[in-house]
Amino acid sequence: MLVVTRKRGESIVVGDGIEIHVVSVGANGVRIGVTAPRDIPVHRREVYDLVVAANRSAAAINPVLSVSALASSLRTRTPLAPPALVAAEGTDAPHRLA
Amino acid sequence: MSGAVTLVMHSTDLAPIETPFGTFEGRPRDIVTLVDALPGFEDCRQFLLLSSPALEPLTCLQGLDASKPSFLVVDPRCVEPDYSCRLDDLQRRRLGATLDTPLLWLAIVRVADGGSTVNLRAPLVVNPERMRGLQLLAGHDDYDTNHPLG
Repeated sequence: MLVVTRKRGESIVVGDGIEIHVVSVGANGVRIGVTAPRDIPVHRREVYDLVVAANRSAAAINPVLSVSALASSLRTRTPLAPPALVAAEGTDAPHRLA
Repeated sequence: MSGAVTLVMHSTDLAPIETPFGTFEGRPRDIVTLVDALPGFEDCRQFLLLSSPALEPLTCLQGLDASKPSFLVVDPRCVEPDYSCRLDDLQRRRLGATLDTPLLWLAIVRVADGGSTVNLRAPLVVNPERMRGLQLLAGHDDYDTNHPLG
Protein backbone atom coordinates (compact mmCIF):
# COMPACT_ATOMS: atom_id res chain seq x y z
CA MET A 1 0.00 0.00 0.00
CA LEU A 2 1.20 3.46 -0.88
CA VAL A 3 1.40 5.66 2.20
CA VAL A 4 1.88 9.41 1.78
CA THR A 5 1.73 12.39 4.11
CA ARG A 6 -0.77 15.06 3.04
CA LYS A 7 -1.78 18.34 4.62
CA ARG A 8 -5.15 20.06 4.55
CA GLY A 9 -5.90 21.26 1.04
CA GLU A 10 -3.57 18.75 -0.59
CA SER A 11 -4.72 15.81 -2.66
CA ILE A 12 -3.80 12.56 -4.37
CA VAL A 13 -4.54 11.74 -8.00
CA VAL A 14 -5.46 8.13 -8.82
CA GLY A 15 -5.55 7.03 -12.45
CA ASP A 16 -7.78 8.95 -14.84
CA GLY A 17 -10.05 11.45 -13.20
CA ILE A 18 -9.99 10.28 -9.59
CA GLU A 19 -8.76 12.75 -6.98
CA ILE A 20 -8.80 12.37 -3.22
CA HIS A 21 -8.69 15.64 -1.32
CA VAL A 22 -7.87 16.22 2.32
CA VAL A 23 -10.55 18.74 3.26
CA SER A 24 -9.73 19.08 6.95
CA VAL A 25 -7.88 17.28 9.70
CA GLY A 26 -9.24 17.17 13.23
CA ALA A 27 -8.95 15.23 16.45
CA ASN A 28 -11.94 13.04 15.53
CA GLY A 29 -11.11 12.29 11.96
CA VAL A 30 -9.99 13.40 8.55
CA ARG A 31 -12.53 14.87 6.14
CA ILE A 32 -11.92 13.47 2.68
CA GLY A 33 -13.32 14.70 -0.61
CA VAL A 34 -13.39 12.36 -3.59
CA THR A 35 -13.75 13.44 -7.21
CA ALA A 36 -14.39 10.55 -9.60
CA PRO A 37 -15.95 9.93 -13.02
CA ARG A 38 -19.65 9.24 -12.76
CA ASP A 39 -19.31 5.57 -13.62
CA ILE A 40 -16.96 4.99 -10.68
CA PRO A 41 -19.02 4.39 -7.53
CA VAL A 42 -17.51 5.68 -4.28
CA HIS A 43 -18.70 4.24 -0.97
CA ARG A 44 -17.72 4.18 2.66
CA ARG A 45 -16.11 0.79 3.32
CA GLU A 46 -18.53 -0.17 6.10
CA VAL A 47 -21.56 0.64 3.93
CA TYR A 48 -20.19 -1.52 1.14
CA ASP A 49 -19.35 -4.38 3.51
CA LEU A 50 -22.84 -4.33 5.00
CA VAL A 51 -24.35 -4.86 1.55
CA VAL A 52 -21.76 -7.52 0.66
CA ALA A 53 -22.81 -9.49 3.75
CA ALA A 54 -26.52 -9.00 3.01
CA ASN A 55 -26.18 -10.04 -0.63
CA ARG A 56 -24.03 -13.08 0.10
CA SER A 57 -26.39 -14.32 2.78
CA ALA A 58 -29.37 -13.92 0.44
CA ALA A 59 -27.91 -15.72 -2.57
CA ALA A 60 -29.25 -19.23 -2.91
CA ILE A 61 -26.98 -22.09 -3.80
CA ASN A 62 -29.08 -25.12 -3.01
CA PRO A 63 -32.72 -25.64 -3.99
CA VAL A 64 -35.01 -23.65 -1.74
CA LEU A 65 -38.22 -25.54 -1.03
CA SER A 66 -40.14 -23.17 1.21
CA VAL A 67 -40.62 -20.42 -1.34
CA SER A 68 -44.21 -21.08 -2.32
CA ALA A 69 -45.34 -20.83 1.32
CA LEU A 70 -43.51 -17.53 1.65
CA ALA A 71 -45.05 -16.31 -1.60
CA SER A 72 -48.57 -17.19 -0.52
CA SER A 73 -48.11 -15.50 2.87
CA LEU A 74 -46.99 -12.36 1.07
CA ARG A 75 -49.99 -12.53 -1.27
CA THR A 76 -52.38 -12.43 1.66
CA ARG A 77 -50.81 -9.31 3.15
CA THR A 78 -50.16 -7.42 0.02
CA PRO A 79 -52.46 -4.55 -0.78
CA LEU A 80 -50.69 -3.93 -4.03
CA ALA A 81 -51.21 -6.04 -6.93
CA PRO A 82 -48.88 -8.31 -8.49
CA PRO A 83 -45.22 -8.24 -8.26
CA ALA A 84 -42.79 -7.00 -10.74
CA LEU A 85 -44.89 -3.91 -10.93
CA VAL A 86 -43.33 -0.66 -11.85
CA ALA A 87 -44.61 2.42 -10.14
CA ALA A 88 -43.70 5.71 -11.64
CA GLU A 89 -42.31 7.99 -8.99
CA GLY A 90 -44.77 10.71 -8.36
CA THR A 91 -47.59 8.98 -10.21
CA ASP A 92 -50.03 6.28 -9.25
CA ALA A 93 -49.88 4.47 -12.52
CA PRO A 94 -48.23 1.11 -12.34
CA HIS A 95 -46.89 -0.67 -15.35
CA ARG A 96 -46.17 -4.33 -15.62
CA LEU A 97 -42.61 -5.17 -16.44
CA ALA A 98 -42.16 -5.97 -20.13
CA MET B 1 -21.87 -23.30 -17.12
CA SER B 2 -25.52 -24.13 -17.36
CA GLY B 3 -26.79 -25.20 -20.75
CA ALA B 4 -30.20 -23.69 -20.11
CA VAL B 5 -28.73 -20.27 -19.41
CA THR B 6 -26.65 -20.40 -22.56
CA LEU B 7 -29.72 -21.33 -24.57
CA VAL B 8 -31.74 -18.30 -23.56
CA MET B 9 -28.95 -15.95 -24.53
CA HIS B 10 -29.23 -17.08 -28.14
CA SER B 11 -32.93 -17.56 -28.42
CA THR B 12 -35.84 -15.21 -28.87
CA ASP B 13 -38.22 -17.87 -27.57
CA LEU B 14 -39.04 -18.93 -24.05
CA ALA B 15 -36.36 -21.17 -22.65
CA PRO B 16 -36.47 -23.19 -19.44
CA ILE B 17 -34.09 -21.96 -16.74
CA GLU B 18 -33.37 -24.04 -13.66
CA THR B 19 -32.78 -22.08 -10.47
CA PRO B 20 -32.71 -22.92 -6.74
CA PHE B 21 -36.23 -21.47 -6.65
CA GLY B 22 -37.64 -23.72 -9.36
CA THR B 23 -37.71 -23.89 -13.13
CA PHE B 24 -38.85 -20.84 -15.03
CA GLU B 25 -39.33 -19.76 -18.59
CA GLY B 26 -36.79 -17.10 -19.37
CA ARG B 27 -37.05 -14.42 -22.02
CA PRO B 28 -34.03 -12.53 -23.35
CA ARG B 29 -35.91 -9.23 -23.00
CA ASP B 30 -36.07 -9.74 -19.23
CA ILE B 31 -32.28 -9.57 -18.89
CA VAL B 32 -31.13 -6.70 -16.67
CA THR B 33 -27.60 -5.34 -16.97
CA LEU B 34 -26.27 -3.81 -13.77
CA VAL B 35 -24.28 -0.59 -14.24
CA ASP B 36 -22.52 -1.35 -10.93
CA ALA B 37 -21.97 -4.91 -9.80
CA LEU B 38 -23.83 -6.19 -6.75
CA PRO B 39 -21.43 -5.94 -3.80
CA GLY B 40 -20.19 -9.45 -3.10
CA PHE B 41 -20.91 -10.59 -6.69
CA GLU B 42 -18.62 -8.37 -8.72
CA ASP B 43 -18.21 -11.09 -11.38
CA CYS B 44 -21.85 -10.98 -12.50
CA ARG B 45 -23.43 -8.04 -14.32
CA GLN B 46 -26.28 -9.72 -16.19
CA PHE B 47 -29.38 -11.02 -14.44
CA LEU B 48 -32.59 -12.54 -15.69
CA LEU B 49 -35.90 -11.64 -14.04
CA LEU B 50 -38.07 -14.75 -13.79
CA SER B 51 -41.70 -14.78 -12.70
CA SER B 52 -44.27 -17.48 -12.17
CA PRO B 53 -47.82 -17.41 -10.76
CA ALA B 54 -46.80 -19.71 -7.88
CA LEU B 55 -44.03 -17.35 -6.86
CA GLU B 56 -45.97 -14.07 -6.95
CA PRO B 57 -45.33 -11.55 -5.53
CA LEU B 58 -41.76 -12.79 -5.48
CA THR B 59 -39.55 -12.73 -8.53
CA CYS B 60 -36.39 -14.74 -9.11
CA LEU B 61 -33.32 -12.75 -10.08
CA GLN B 62 -30.97 -15.22 -11.70
CA GLY B 63 -27.38 -14.23 -12.46
CA LEU B 64 -26.11 -15.21 -15.90
CA ASP B 65 -22.35 -14.55 -15.56
CA ALA B 66 -19.53 -16.37 -13.72
CA SER B 67 -20.81 -17.32 -10.26
CA LYS B 68 -24.47 -17.10 -11.41
CA PRO B 69 -25.96 -16.11 -8.07
CA SER B 70 -29.70 -16.65 -7.56
CA PHE B 71 -31.86 -14.26 -5.56
CA LEU B 72 -35.48 -13.78 -4.72
CA VAL B 73 -36.70 -10.20 -4.92
CA VAL B 74 -39.93 -8.44 -4.09
CA ASP B 75 -41.39 -4.98 -4.61
CA PRO B 76 -40.57 -3.27 -1.28
CA ARG B 77 -44.10 -1.87 -1.15
CA CYS B 78 -45.43 -5.41 -0.84
CA VAL B 79 -43.68 -5.46 2.53
CA GLU B 80 -44.02 -1.82 3.56
CA PRO B 81 -46.84 -0.13 1.62
CA ASP B 82 -45.46 3.35 2.36
CA TYR B 83 -41.95 2.50 1.25
CA SER B 84 -40.39 5.00 -1.09
CA CYS B 85 -36.88 5.61 -2.20
CA ARG B 86 -35.29 8.32 -4.31
CA LEU B 87 -32.70 8.20 -7.00
CA ASP B 88 -30.37 11.14 -7.38
CA ASP B 89 -29.83 12.72 -10.79
CA LEU B 90 -26.54 10.93 -11.37
CA GLN B 91 -27.98 7.50 -10.58
CA ARG B 92 -30.98 8.25 -12.78
CA ARG B 93 -28.76 9.22 -15.69
CA ARG B 94 -26.68 6.10 -15.28
CA LEU B 95 -29.84 4.03 -15.70
CA GLY B 96 -30.74 6.03 -18.80
CA ALA B 97 -33.88 7.21 -17.01
CA THR B 98 -35.56 10.61 -16.88
CA LEU B 99 -37.78 11.99 -14.13
CA ASP B 100 -40.78 10.54 -15.98
CA THR B 101 -39.40 7.04 -16.42
CA PRO B 102 -41.33 4.45 -14.39
CA LEU B 103 -38.82 2.48 -12.35
CA LEU B 104 -38.90 -1.05 -11.01
CA TRP B 105 -37.89 -1.34 -7.35
CA LEU B 106 -36.76 -4.72 -6.04
CA ALA B 107 -35.69 -5.66 -2.53
CA ILE B 108 -33.60 -8.79 -2.06
CA VAL B 109 -35.20 -11.51 0.07
CA ARG B 110 -33.20 -13.84 2.28
CA VAL B 111 -35.07 -17.09 2.72
CA ALA B 112 -34.40 -18.73 6.10
CA ASP B 113 -36.18 -21.38 8.15
CA GLY B 114 -36.08 -19.25 11.26
CA GLY B 115 -37.76 -16.33 9.50
CA SER B 116 -37.13 -14.84 6.11
CA THR B 117 -35.93 -11.27 5.83
CA VAL B 118 -35.82 -8.62 3.14
CA ASN B 119 -33.19 -5.98 2.49
CA LEU B 120 -35.14 -2.72 2.49
CA ARG B 121 -32.01 -0.67 3.12
CA ALA B 122 -30.26 -1.40 -0.15
CA PRO B 123 -32.88 -2.01 -2.86
CA LEU B 124 -32.23 -2.65 -6.52
CA VAL B 125 -33.68 -0.21 -8.98
CA VAL B 126 -34.18 -1.05 -12.64
CA ASN B 127 -35.13 1.14 -15.57
CA PRO B 128 -37.38 -1.29 -17.50
CA GLU B 129 -37.15 0.78 -20.67
CA ARG B 130 -33.40 0.20 -20.90
CA MET B 131 -33.17 -2.84 -18.62
CA ARG B 132 -30.36 -1.21 -16.69
CA GLY B 133 -30.17 -1.52 -12.94
CA LEU B 134 -28.14 -0.80 -9.85
CA GLN B 135 -28.28 -1.47 -6.13
CA LEU B 136 -28.61 1.60 -3.93
CA LEU B 137 -26.18 0.84 -1.13
CA ALA B 138 -27.66 3.34 1.27
CA GLY B 139 -31.04 3.63 -0.36
CA HIS B 140 -33.08 3.92 2.78
CA ASP B 141 -31.48 4.59 6.16
CA ASP B 142 -34.75 4.03 8.02
CA TYR B 143 -34.76 0.34 7.14
CA ASP B 144 -32.50 -2.57 7.83
CA THR B 145 -30.77 -5.01 5.49
CA ASN B 146 -32.62 -7.80 7.30
CA HIS B 147 -36.13 -6.46 7.77
CA PRO B 148 -38.42 -9.29 9.01
CA LEU B 149 -40.68 -10.77 6.37
CA GLY B 150 -43.80 -12.39 7.68
